[in-house]
Amino acid sequence: MANLRRHLSGYSFIAPWLVALVLFIGFPFLAGLYFSFCDYPPLKTPVFIGLDNYAELVGDVKFHHSMGVTLLYASAAIPLGVLLAITLAMLLNARVRGQSLYRVIFYIPHLVPTVVVALLWMWIFNPEYGLLNIVLARLFQAADGWTGIFVSLAAAAERQNFFEWPAALLVIAPVLAAISIGPWVPAGLRARPSLHRFMAFAAIVLVVAGSLALVNAALTYADPFDMRKLHAPGWLTDADTVPSFLPYGPSMALWALILMSLWSVGQMAIIYLAKLQDVPGELYEAADIDGANWAQKTWHITIPMISPVILFNVVMAIIGTFQVFAEPYIMTAGGPEDKTRFVAMFVYDNAFLYQRVGYASAVAWVLFIMIVVLTLLAFRLSQKRVYYAGR
Amino acid sequence: MAGENEKKAAWYLRVCVHAILATGALFFLLPLLWMMATSLKPLEETMKYPENAAEVFFGAGHRVVIGGQKYEVVLEREIKPTPAQPFFIVRPKEPFAAGELWLAFGADTWRKFQIFNQQELTQMNAEITPEMNVLADETNRFDPAAGLLTLRSGRKVPATVVRELKPDPQGDLLRLVREWRPEDTDTKDVGATDHEATRAWDVVPERDIEKTIRMIPENYPVALTRVGFVRSLINTLFVCVMCVAGSVVSSVLVAYGFAFLEFRARNLLFGLTVATMMIPFAITMIPVYLLYRELGWIGTFKPLWVTSWFGSAFFIFLLRQFFLGLPKDLLDAARIDGCTELEILWHVVVPLARPAIAMVALFTFLGTWKDFMGPLIYLNHPSQFTLSLSLQAFASEHGGTPWHLLMAASTVFSLPLVILFFATMKTFIKGIAMTGIKG
Repeated sequence: MANLRRHLSGYSFIAPWLVALVLFIGFPFLAGLYFSFCDYPPLKTPVFIGLDNYAELVGDVKFHHSMGVTLLYASAAIPLGVLLAITLAMLLNARVRGQSLYRVIFYIPHLVPTVVVALLWMWIFNPEYGLLNIVLARLFQAADGWTGIFVSLAAAAERQNFFEWPAALLVIAPVLAAISIGPWVPAGLRARPSLHRFMAFAAIVLVVAGSLALVNAALTYADPFDMRKLHAPGWLTDADTVPSFLPYGPSMALWALILMSLWSVGQMAIIYLAKLQDVPGELYEAADIDGANWAQKTWHITIPMISPVILFNVVMAIIGTFQVFAEPYIMTAGGPEDKTRFVAMFVYDNAFLYQRVGYASAVAWVLFIMIVVLTLLAFRLSQKRVYYAGR
Repeated sequence: MAGENEKKAAWYLRVCVHAILATGALFFLLPLLWMMATSLKPLEETMKYPENAAEVFFGAGHRVVIGGQKYEVVLEREIKPTPAQPFFIVRPKEPFAAGELWLAFGADTWRKFQIFNQQELTQMNAEITPEMNVLADETNRFDPAAGLLTLRSGRKVPATVVRELKPDPQGDLLRLVREWRPEDTDTKDVGATDHEATRAWDVVPERDIEKTIRMIPENYPVALTRVGFVRSLINTLFVCVMCVAGSVVSSVLVAYGFAFLEFRARNLLFGLTVATMMIPFAITMIPVYLLYRELGWIGTFKPLWVTSWFGSAFFIFLLRQFFLGLPKDLLDAARIDGCTELEILWHVVVPLARPAIAMVALFTFLGTWKDFMGPLIYLNHPSQFTLSLSLQAFASEHGGTPWHLLMAASTVFSLPLVILFFATMKTFIKGIAMTGIKG
C-alpha cells in the first residue's frame, strides 16, 4: 500500500510532463508519421496513400536542392563554428587583464533576438551601403597594395606608389627571422632569452603576414574572377558558387549566412571555456615535466579533455542546422535562385503555403531520420576519440 | 584553476593575446555599434556611401544661413546657371498645380512632400500659391523681360523676381538646399497635409555650407510608433511572463519527481525525456499546429505559452542534474520530520536550487523574447503580434528601406535582454557553465 502511494506521488509530480510527452510530443510525432503516408488536403480528413509521398520526394528536385543547401551549410558552418569557438575559448582562458570584459563582449551577440540579427545583417550585407562591403573595400585596398608588388609592377606604377610599407615588411621579415633565430645571435642576447624569443616571435608574425600577402597575390593571379568578386560582393543577392572552380559549392548568399552564424559563436565558446576551466591543472604540470610544448599540450590534453563537450555541441549543431528557418525566411526568402531555401523552410512552405500537409510530414520524417543517422555517425566516428573522465 | 594558468605567460605572448582578443571583440561589437549608429542617422545618410571613416558611424549634416537665420538643411541638386542664361527665384502671381512645373517647389510644398519628385507632386496635385517661391531654371523657363513663367503645359504665369541666380563669381558650385526637420525621418508622412508650417529653401554656393554631424534621437519615437511598440511589448511580456512562470513551476516539479522520488519506469521515462530533445521542431510542427487548430487556439497566445506549463525536456534535465548534486541528508532529515514531498520541495530544495531555478527563468525569458517562428505560425492578427513579428512585418512592408527606423526599433528590442544580462550576470554565467558541463 505504502509502495503504491509512493509510486502515485512520484507520478503526480511528473504528471504535467507525462501529459506533454503524450500530447505535445508523442502524439504529434506519430501523427506526423501517419500523415506522411496520407494525402491530407486542407480541412478534409487524411486519406491513406501508402508510400506515394516518399516516392514523390525521391524525385522532387526542389527537395534535393534544399537538402543540398542545408548539408552545404552544415558542412561549412559547423566545423568553422567549432574551430572558432575552441580557439576563442582558449584565448578567453588565457590569463590576461580585462578577460571578463572580453567574455561579455563575445557573448553579447547571443543576446540579440533572431529577427534583429537577421535585419541587422541584412543591412550589413547591403551591397551598396552595407558595413561589410565598406570594411572589405578598405581592407582590400590595403591588400591590393601588397598584391600589386607581386602581380604587376605596372599597377603599382599606376598608383605612383612603389613603397607600400606592409610590402616592405615582406623583405624585412625573413631578414629579421634569420637574425633572431640563427646561431649567430650574440651570447649577450642569448643570456636574455625573453628578448631573444620575442624577436623570434615577432619574426614569425611578420613571416605569416608576408605569406598572407603572397597568398593574396597568388590567388589574384590564378583566379582573378573570384578575387574581384570578393571586393564588393552582392552577398544576399548573389547566387554564384564561391569559389567558382567548385562544381557544387555554397553560393555567396549561403556564405553570407554562414558568416552571420559565426557571429553568435561566443555562446559556444563560453561553454567550452567552462569545460576548459575544469581541466585539472596536474595534467599540465605533468606535461611540463615531460617537456611538452604548447601545441602538444593542446592536442594531447586540452582537446581530449573537452572532447565530450565538442561532441555534444556538434550534435546540437546538426539538429540546429535542420531547423534554420528565421534567418533565410527574413533575409532572403529562400532566394537567390533558391540557393538559401533550407529544408526547414521547404517544410514550412509545403505545410503552410501550399497546404500539402501529407507531403510536408514526409519531408519532416526524412529529416528526422537524417538527423538520427548523422548523430549516430557523430557518436560512432568519435567513439575512440572522445574521452570521458572518470568513466 | 588550470595549472597552465598558474604561471604568467611571457609579456609578448600576453600582448599578442590581448591584440587578438581586442581585434576580435571589435569585430564582434562592430555590427551592434553600427546598428546604433544607423539608428541615429537621417534617412538620406543611410543611402550614401560614406566619404570617410567617421561618416560610417556619424551621419553628416549641413547648416546654411537663410535669411539671417541658421538652418539645418538637406542638400538637393546642383544648379548650373550660365552667364547667358541666369536662373531666377520667382514668386508667381497666380496659383497653379505643382505638377505643372518640371521640378516644382515652394515653401509649403517642402513641408508637405518630403520625398520630393515630380511624379509624387503630380499625383497629389499640390497647389503653388502666390506667396510661395519657385525656382525658375533651365526647365521651368522664366522670361525676366515679360515677367512670365512658362509651365510644362505651355501656359504662362505672371511672376515677380525675388532674386537672380548667376554663376558664382569664385567658381563654386551652386546648390539647392532646403530646411531639414527631425520629422523628415518619418518616411510615412509623404503626402500628409495636416502641417501648416512652411519650410525655408535657398540656392547657395558650396562654401557657405557648413558641415556638421547630424544625430537624430527622433528616429526612436518615430520607429516605435511605426512598429506599434507598446502593443507588441505588452503582448511579448504577457507571453514571456506566462512562459517563465509555467516553465519554472512545471520543470521544478517534474525534475524533483525524477530526482528524488521512486516510481515504476522512472529511468525509462527519464531516458525518453532526454531523447525528446533530439526531435527538431520541424517534425512535430505540423501535427501540433493541427492540434491547436482543433482546439481553436490559432490566432490566440495559448499555443505560445500553454506548453511551457507542462515542462520542457531541457530544463527538466538540467534541474534534475542540479538536484542530484544537493546533499541528500537534508532531504532525509526533512522526511523524518514528517514533511510531505511538496513541503520538502518548497522548504529544502527550492532555497538550495535558487541559482538553477533563476537560470531556468532567465533562459526561458530569453528564448521566448527571441522566438520568431512560434508567433509567425500561430498569430495572425497585427494586434497580437509580438515584438519579433511586428518588427519583421514593419521591415517587409517597406521592402527594408527605412534602415534608420528599423535599426532604432531593433536597438530598443535588443536592449532589455542586454540589460537583463548585465543585471543577472552571475546567474547567467553559472547557467551557461551548467549547460556546458552536462556534455
